[in-house]
Amino acid sequence: MARVNGSGSGVRATVVGTLPASVESAAGELGEDTSTGARGRLEGLESGRGRLIVDDGKVHDVLITAIPSAARRSLGIDRLEVVVDGWRFEVDVEDDARARLRERATSERAAGTSGGPLELRAIIPGRVVSVDVAIGDAVESGERLLVVEAMKMQNELRATRGGTVARIAVVPGQTVERGDLLLVVE
Amino acid sequence: MSLRKDEGGESLPFGRVLVANRGEIAVRIIRACHEMGLEAIAVYSDADAGAGHVRAADRAIRLGPANPAESYLDIDAIVAAGLASGAGAVHPGYGFLAERAGFARAVIAAGMRFVGPDPDAIEALGDKLHARRLALDAGVPAVPGTLEPAAIDRPDQLGPIVEQANRIGYPLLVKAAAGGGGRGMRRVARAEDLPVALLDGSHEAVAAFGDGRVYLEREITPARHIEVQLLGDATGRVIALGERDCSIQRRHQKLVEEAPAPGLSSDARRELHGLAVAVASAAGLTNAATAEFLRDEQGGLHFLEVNTRLQVEHGVTELVTGLDIVREQLLLAAGMPLSEAAVAAAERAGDPVGHAIEVRIAAEDPGAAFAPMPGRVARWRMASGPGVRVDTAMEAGDRVPPEYDNLIAKVMVHAGDRDAAIDRLGRALRETEIGGIQTTLPFHRFVAAHAGFRAAELSTGWVAQHWDGAAEWGRAAGLARAAAALAFGAGVGAGASAQEVRQQRGAGRGGEPGGWSDAALSDGVDRWPA
Repeated sequence: MARVNGSGSGVRATVVGTLPASVESAAGELGEDTSTGARGRLEGLESGRGRLIVDDGKVHDVLITAIPSAARRSLGIDRLEVVVDGWRFEVDVEDDARARLRERATSERAAGTSGGPLELRAIIPGRVVSVDVAIGDAVESGERLLVVEAMKMQNELRATRGGTVARIAVVPGQTVERGDLLLVVE
Repeated sequence: MSLRKDEGGESLPFGRVLVANRGEIAVRIIRACHEMGLEAIAVYSDADAGAGHVRAADRAIRLGPANPAESYLDIDAIVAAGLASGAGAVHPGYGFLAERAGFARAVIAAGMRFVGPDPDAIEALGDKLHARRLALDAGVPAVPGTLEPAAIDRPDQLGPIVEQANRIGYPLLVKAAAGGGGRGMRRVARAEDLPVALLDGSHEAVAAFGDGRVYLEREITPARHIEVQLLGDATGRVIALGERDCSIQRRHQKLVEEAPAPGLSSDARRELHGLAVAVASAAGLTNAATAEFLRDEQGGLHFLEVNTRLQVEHGVTELVTGLDIVREQLLLAAGMPLSEAAVAAAERAGDPVGHAIEVRIAAEDPGAAFAPMPGRVARWRMASGPGVRVDTAMEAGDRVPPEYDNLIAKVMVHAGDRDAAIDRLGRALRETEIGGIQTTLPFHRFVAAHAGFRAAELSTGWVAQHWDGAAEWGRAAGLARAAAALAFGAGVGAGASAQEVRQQRGAGRGGEPGGWSDAALSDGVDRWPA
């Protein structure tokens, strides 16, 4: 889960989604500069289409659609699909004071659980072409673990850190859905 | 039957065409059939029951499961569908079986016409090594490289290949003899990487084509990718309708194409067309094909390959020439000579009038190295108006299945000159609304607004040079958060869609048209941090 956090005095907006690693790094950098770049006003939005006019005078085409969920609603969170200049995001929006309360509770629960196993999950639906490691193999950061093919493209999945292969959840030829567990490195 | 007077006959020898493809190209072919008074039969896999091409056809026949090998690549099933439906001709589109000589032969053996080149020409040109030798024999300069498959079965055979590679020079490309779409291709920058690249490329080629032969080609860079649209008839006559520049690519697959190729003199165009016709004639080409070249910075032309099928980007040539290439294909498949309209277009091809640009809207994330992003399209509104053509099979609610190519729409524009076409492209892309899935739309908007593109500074390295997808994504993410916060502040989201909110607010605050947008403006600004 990549999160791009930015809190305002009244509303907190968080970009949600499972993103490829290359984008997660960009999302990390983003945290520092968006609070300044994000000021502006919204015009239009008849039939969900509008214009975002930011401080520098640039006009951006925006499509906004609510993605309803009773579970999120009960937490006071709304999810919006926001398409800006063709880029699609799902953004969770909530009252900022409420978000801070929820965060405090979550951070107390999560304390001390860092450094867990690396779980490799499918970022797109596809078919496993090959598994290049076996359970118990020692792997180094950057080493190819398996290859998934989707839409005529082969995606090599590599270890983002070193460790030992603890579990292989797929076999070559298997079809996987987005988010499926592929492999665990400990 | 609706043939024109100049097309030399009242009727075709077939009245029904089986379209052996899916997606936008199947719809494109069905449209040509309908304009000619022909019935169009669609085929589909389980992933495509109810898809756009099935809806557009007069009748549709199920082939099998979603897996392409059991549906769109199943020659027996498609020939059986053709026979069962009483089709007199089979159009393969592009991809899938379009360049399989065995498929063309099976169609012909079953007594139907194959709407494409003669199987022998498909075979001769489909083998890229054979095509390279053919070109050189015809006096057409091919990209420097090897002419025989690399022997890679045993480690001790690698010596001669490394020597050949050193002569060609680095960086070079390992390419598949049966290749296409960049599959089996590996870039090699140093001699020590060559053995691994040969094996990897060969393995990928086996998986993709069932043929692991690979060869070496010098990487010509910087270069522009320029290709020539060809038509040929049974008398052996081959003509060139004009060229296209398709330099803007990712993973050796095209993203933006235009016709004519900017910046070429009339003589340079004619020289290029002449080379393309020479290769195609040497291979006995009939029907439609495209000869691809690289043009180096000095203007030198290097033959790459001939694709013996209708090309994805044929539409830009249609817009500039006024021809319907699929219609010409059907006429040629019926055994007619090249039409007067096609011959006239070829005569004008050295001095084309007007300009057309196509962008490929694909379901992929240009912020994450153009990774495929299948899913369901929730919102779908395509551009229209003067000089805009959109070829697609999509509608809101349709799924982009992960099993197939992720091209979902081709947005084409046509105008009097290139500048006007770029302006029109920008306008058309601002009109385009797609929700539910990420597409290449942001990349195309970037291209349309780019000064280098407008200056026709084109090369196959364009995307790597100019596009920083992660940074663009990051900027947009900040804007999306701002827009979401402003919309939330205005009341969008709390179980209500923007439309519903507008109605509520409009009613509550006097109800004048556009009332909610004003309300959103003031509320949003109030809530945003200073």
